[in-house]
Parts: sequence; structure tokens; C-alpha cells
Amino acid sequence: MNPSLKLLLLLIVALEISFTTIVSLNVALVILAGIYLLAKRVKLRTLLWLLIVPLIPAIGLWSTQYINGTGQKELMAWVLFTRIYAFVFTGATLTLTTDVLELTDSLEQNCHLPAKFAYGVLAAYNLAPKIKHEVQVIRAAGLMRGQTLSFWSPQLYFKAILISITWSQNLAQAMASHGFVEDAPRTHYRKVRVRPVDWGLLIGGIILLQLGVFVMPWH
Amino acid sequence: MKWVKDWYLSDIILLALIGVFFGIIFLGTNYVYDVLTAVFAPLGLSQIPNELLLGLWCMPGMLAGYMLRIKGASVLGEFLASVVEMLFGGQWGASTMISGILQGIGSELGFTLTRYKHYDWLGLAATAATTTIVTFGWDLARSGYGKLQLWLLLLFFVVRFCSMFVFGGLLTRAITDLLDRSHVLKTTHTN
Repeated sequence: MNPSLKLLLLLIVALEISFTTIVSLNVALVILAGIYLLAKRVKLRTLLWLLIVPLIPAIGLWSTQYINGTGQKELMAWVLFTRIYAFVFTGATLTLTTDVLELTDSLEQNCHLPAKFAYGVLAAYNLAPKIKHEVQVIRAAGLMRGQTLSFWSPQLYFKAILISITWSQNLAQAMASHGFVEDAPRTHYRKVRVRPVDWGLLIGGIILLQLGVFVMPWH
Repeated sequence: MKWVKDWYLSDIILLALIGVFFGIIFLGTNYVYDVLTAVFAPLGLSQIPNELLLGLWCMPGMLAGYMLRIKGASVLGEFLASVVEMLFGGQWGASTMISGILQGIGSELGFTLTRYKHYDWLGLAATAATTTIVTFGWDLARSGYGKLQLWLLLLFFVVRFCSMFVFGGLLTRAITDLLDRSHVLKTTHTN
């Protein structure tokens, strides 16, 4: 499916299930997303991991409603428990199966996102491994001077921002010297198309969701 | 599309880089969050750790607005941070982006209400307050807060505001003070 339309569909799903209280709808979404992930050959171990990671927050939300809720406590507790899993599994259908480069290409070409946003964010994203290393370097440098830099230390963020400023200017210059011109029209080597089938999937998905929310007998 | 012209490529990369940096620093807090949540769960107060740490997760937006002083910096800063988090395979998927946009709008409102003139404690308090209110409104629906007892709601609200003020106010101020003293912001301000 076209990445932009997929993202749009997932945003609609996430928004809509935030305002509904139907346990079986959430479960149905989890199962559908699970089948999709399996069909896309996502490893079983990854799926299992998706089940374990949200367990603590899900239990947390469940117990908060169960102990301190008002009205139909039990129903609301289970709604929130399954809602978390619906968020995680539907979200994974994008993050685990869609290439980031493809998504940015699609947002730029199909949604007319200005190129400087698409490539700017992509540039920063691709530096992530280097940034991870840099955070370790900052912490190690602090330790050498007897400072433990934790997530509440202003110095840690200060140094991170200093590096961000330098790198952002370097990257912008590098992109300009490779022929990137801000706000100029671009041609594309990798073309992403929106096929009729993508529109069909989007519209079909939205209709199916409305059926689940308003029509199904479990309501 | 006038606002597009206000943003230079280097500003966009800067905000995205800050988003990645902060995201990586925040990774360590996930363990704190999990342990605290497990501790508070039997009391039915497991949202407390979420409220305590939410200010940290909303910091990129408040910091971006306070540091860059461009209209829309908070929205863009927080949104980019959430996009990067989602691309990293952040567990909450597409709902991360919705939260990111709302947190960003919340932070931005504080600066808008003070007419983009108060880059002082008033502005910081305003942005902490509006971020709290907007994100709380969203949690009334998304996290089922609307169905909770009133005393708990008030407790959550107060804790959330304190967190926003500590991380978005005190910590942001401490960071920008360090940046001011090193005179690095002038180059980005003239952009």
C-alpha cells in the first residue's frame, strides 16, 4: 500500500479508537494487524515482543480504571487495556513493514510536503546511530571530569544542542553543495505512485472501521 | 504557504537533530517508567509515573519555542521529535504523531498567548500551563481519564503541571542559560 495513504489510514484508526469504548473492535484490529504483519513475513519473535513491551503500561491503565474508575469500571478497564494493544499493533504495520525512505519519498511526491522538510528530517534520522554514539561520548567526557550526566542534567542537553547546531549547519551546507536548492522544484529518480488500489484500500479500510464502530452487534 | 519560507533547511535539520538527541537520552527513562508503573499499579495510581515524566517528553517543544523564538517552533519541534520517535519504531505507532502534534500545539499556545514577547518566566509558566491543559484534554479521551474519580483527576493534573514546569520551565531555562552564556544562539537567531 502507498505509505502516505497507509499513514493516513492509521491516523484515522488511532483517532477513532481513542474515542470509542468497544473492546471487541480493539481486539479485531489487533488480530487484523497481526495477520497483516505475518503476511508481510515479520518474525514471530518480533510479534511476541510487541505483545510483551506494552504489557506494563496496559496493566497500569487497566488497574487505574479498575480501582479508581467511576461507572462501568470493568468495561473501561478492558477498553483501555485492549486500546493500547490496538495502538501498538496497528502502528507496527507501518513501522515494521514500510521503509523510511519510501515513506519520505511518498510524503514529498504524493502529499506535496516541501522537500526541505522531507530531506531535512531524513538527514537527521540517518544520523541516529552517530547520535547514539555521541551521547555516550558526552557522558564519558563528563565522567572523566567527575560529573555524572543524567537525564535531568542541563549540561547533557546543552552539549547535545551544541552538537546539533554544528551538525545542522554542516549538513545544510553539504546538501546545498550537492545541488539541493530550498524551495526549488525537483525531479525524482525514485517515483512513488498512488494506484487506484491504494485508494480502494484506504476507503475500504475507513468503511470497515465505521462498520465496526457503528453497525456491528457487539456495540 | 508563507510559513514555509520562515524555515531554513538548517533550522529544520536542527530541530530534527534535537529530537533524535533527546529521544536517545529519554530511552534511559523507559526503565524508570516501567519500574515505577509496576510499583504504583496495585494502588491504581500507575499513571503517576506517566504524569511525572510527561514534562520530559514534552520538553523538545517547549525548548524549541523558547530557544529559537520563531512562530511555530514549538509545534514543529515537538512534532519532528515524535516523528523521529515513530520512525525509530517507538512502540506507540501512529498515535505518537497525534500526541506529538497536540503537545506541540499546547506548548505553542503558551507563547502565542504571551504574544511571542515574553521569553522569560511568564512565557515559560504559560507554555507549561497550556501544554498541561491541552495534553490533559486529550488524555480525558485517549487514556480514559474522563471516567476517573475527581480527586484522582485533580492529583494527576497537579502532578502533570509540576512536571511540565520542572522540565519545560526550570530545565529549559537552565539549558538556554548555558547556551546564552556560550553565545552560540546568535547565529541561529539571525537565520
